[in-house]
Amino acid sequence: MSKPAKDSHPVKFSTKSPLKIALVEDQPKVRDNWNQLINSFPDLSCVCLCKTGEEALRLIPEARPDAVLMDIFLPRMSGIECTSRLKALMPEVRIIILTAMNDEELVFMALEAGADGYLLKRTKPADLRMALLDVLTGGAPMTSEIARRVVESFRLKAKTRDESLRLSAREEQILLLLAKGHSNKMIADNLEISVDTVCHHLKHVFEKMHVSSRTEAVVRYMASKKPADS
Amino acid sequence: MFSHGMLRAGVVLALGCLILMAAWSQEAPVLVAAPAVTINTNIDDPKEPLKDSLSERGSHNFSDMGSWIWETNTYDRQTVRFWRSFEIPAGATVSRARLRITADNEYILHLDGRELGRDAEWRHLYEYDITSLLEPGQHVLAVEAYNSSREAGFMFGMQVGLASGRVLKIKSDSSWLIVPEDVPGWENKTEPADSWRPATVENAFGLGPWGVMDYIDLVPPMQPTFIPFWQTTWFQVLILSVCGIVCLVSFSLATQLLLQKKEKQLLLHERARIARDIHDDIGTRVTQLVLQGEVAQSELPCGSKTRARLEQISEEAREVLLAMDEILWAINPRRDTLHEFSTFVCGHAQTFLKATPIQCVLDVESGMSAEAFDLPFRRSLLMAVKEALNNAAKHSGATELLLKIHRRGTGLIVAVQDNGKGFDPLQVKAERNGLANMNQRLTEVGGSCRVTSQPGKGCRVEFNIPFVQMRRQGWWSNWRSSRRYARPSPSQPATRNL
Repeated sequence: MSKPAKDSHPVKFSTKSPLKIALVEDQPKVRDNWNQLINSFPDLSCVCLCKTGEEALRLIPEARPDAVLMDIFLPRMSGIECTSRLKALMPEVRIIILTAMNDEELVFMALEAGADGYLLKRTKPADLRMALLDVLTGGAPMTSEIARRVVESFRLKAKTRDESLRLSAREEQILLLLAKGHSNKMIADNLEISVDTVCHHLKHVFEKMHVSSRTEAVVRYMASKKPADS
Repeated sequence: MFSHGMLRAGVVLALGCLILMAAWSQEAPVLVAAPAVTINTNIDDPKEPLKDSLSERGSHNFSDMGSWIWETNTYDRQTVRFWRSFEIPAGATVSRARLRITADNEYILHLDGRELGRDAEWRHLYEYDITSLLEPGQHVLAVEAYNSSREAGFMFGMQVGLASGRVLKIKSDSSWLIVPEDVPGWENKTEPADSWRPATVENAFGLGPWGVMDYIDLVPPMQPTFIPFWQTTWFQVLILSVCGIVCLVSFSLATQLLLQKKEKQLLLHERARIARDIHDDIGTRVTQLVLQGEVAQSELPCGSKTRARLEQISEEAREVLLAMDEILWAINPRRDTLHEFSTFVCGHAQTFLKATPIQCVLDVESGMSAEAFDLPFRRSLLMAVKEALNNAAKHSGATELLLKIHRRGTGLIVAVQDNGKGFDPLQVKAERNGLANMNQRLTEVGGSCRVTSQPGKGCRVEFNIPFVQMRRQGWWSNWRSSRRYARPSPSQPATRNL
């Protein structure tokens, strides 16, 4: 399962040492701009810049960042495949997918492959920082469309998955409310639980998604190419 | 389309032909000669009076035979054509008719222009039974004889017994006429020409170099046979040509369909390409612009004028990207499904209402995954829903808005319902709040729009697009609409559907 490694990086965003961010982006200008923007925040620091997915698989395990910003369109190995392989190498790392355009189908695929969240490239830097911090505390953002897809995907695969990887009744309830457009706050009010509990449930949903996708992905990718063991 | 009518007409025509031919074939027998030949034994000396050939097949009584006749001149490799006509009296019934023939060296026997048989052995006499071929009226005997070398002769004898007891006898003699070589279709001629000369008698039967024949070959009696109409040549030709025409028509239809399909495929391809180009090229560049603006801002001190302006530029560029998102969504053929439509509309509603105090609640029917929802429909419907959302945001003062997308029987229903202050539909001018606009967008694609509201009780706008309309416009009359896109008439602005 997805227990973090022994010396996992403690998630903290208000201490002196800035959070370490890795960036995977094939376009040099975009990469530079992101690098500059990330470094302009005192509590964020870009520690690793990769041009391709292959490079990311080589460099990121050494750099040991807290979070990875991954472009979805990369030459040869796509951002989705890279996410899946990277998660297999270092399950504790948080991966955020970057897309130029809003395409929830791709985003969902990325989430299934193990991504913890997604951002549009045009996101304001302040929002980027908030999203990064959110993801690092486990509260991945989820739109109603993604919530609907998650429910559908779990229902579809319910028969082939073992008990521990199915959605609990409460989790499904929360996802369905999300799909209806309710905010976390409204859901909390509706179900008479705290917002934190809602977030906690969502975190669980993501973990289940990642774990099941990881086992599937490992089977899928082991067949084609054995990833370098860390 | 015209093709259906044509096919139906073709089938009716073919059936009509069949019935007609079935009726016709009952009256028109076609003759075929049985090919088998039986050989009679050698001729013995007659001990008792012989029956003549009319009463006994293969009789040794040769009293009915004529003389050996030929042309005046005899030479090797010579062809001579003998012609004679005779008449069966009107009202008479032929009870039996037999003829015997031979030639040195070969003969071809025609009766009424039709070949009855041919052979090439002067030591044999060939006996034909032609009872069933003779009807009252004029008949023509035509014999083409061929001499390969030296002596030549043609020998013939025929007896026709009538029901009245009368017997007609025709023998080879000088009453036969010799037809010159250059007369085409001579065996069909019913009247002789003046230039036809009588044949020359050479020897009586049994005399000359030939003597009496050793064998009599019995040619099996000629029988009229009914050939079923489907075996006749002309019918088969007809059927084949009908089949050919049907094949051609189907082929052309199939090609047309294929072409349409290909055209549509091409259109989808092109749309996908345009979407990709916009995404990869313009999208990436404008994104780059946004980032560059942000970087430039971060390099300037807070509160500087240029920084505020740069922020404005970035914001503008973001809006360009947002607008492009929608254009891409419209163009991309991957989005031509109900599911993609509801996803986009819901996403739009949520983003749009985030900036307002209205809480957006969605109610989307599940399982609408891959059903086709072509560009003109989803585009028009999206525009209409946007209009409705805009109205709600501007005028309703609602706290909650329900966006409902579901199928009802024969169509897709999209309802936008708010809990705002509502209005009296009768007192609101349609043009003012975009109701007319929504209506027009829906009627353009064959749908309808209904607004229900009461003061103080919110407002509900319901859009309805029947699936039949979608399907019909979707592919059946696709080629027509594609023509329309290609050459828009002034009354129908093509840009609206794009």
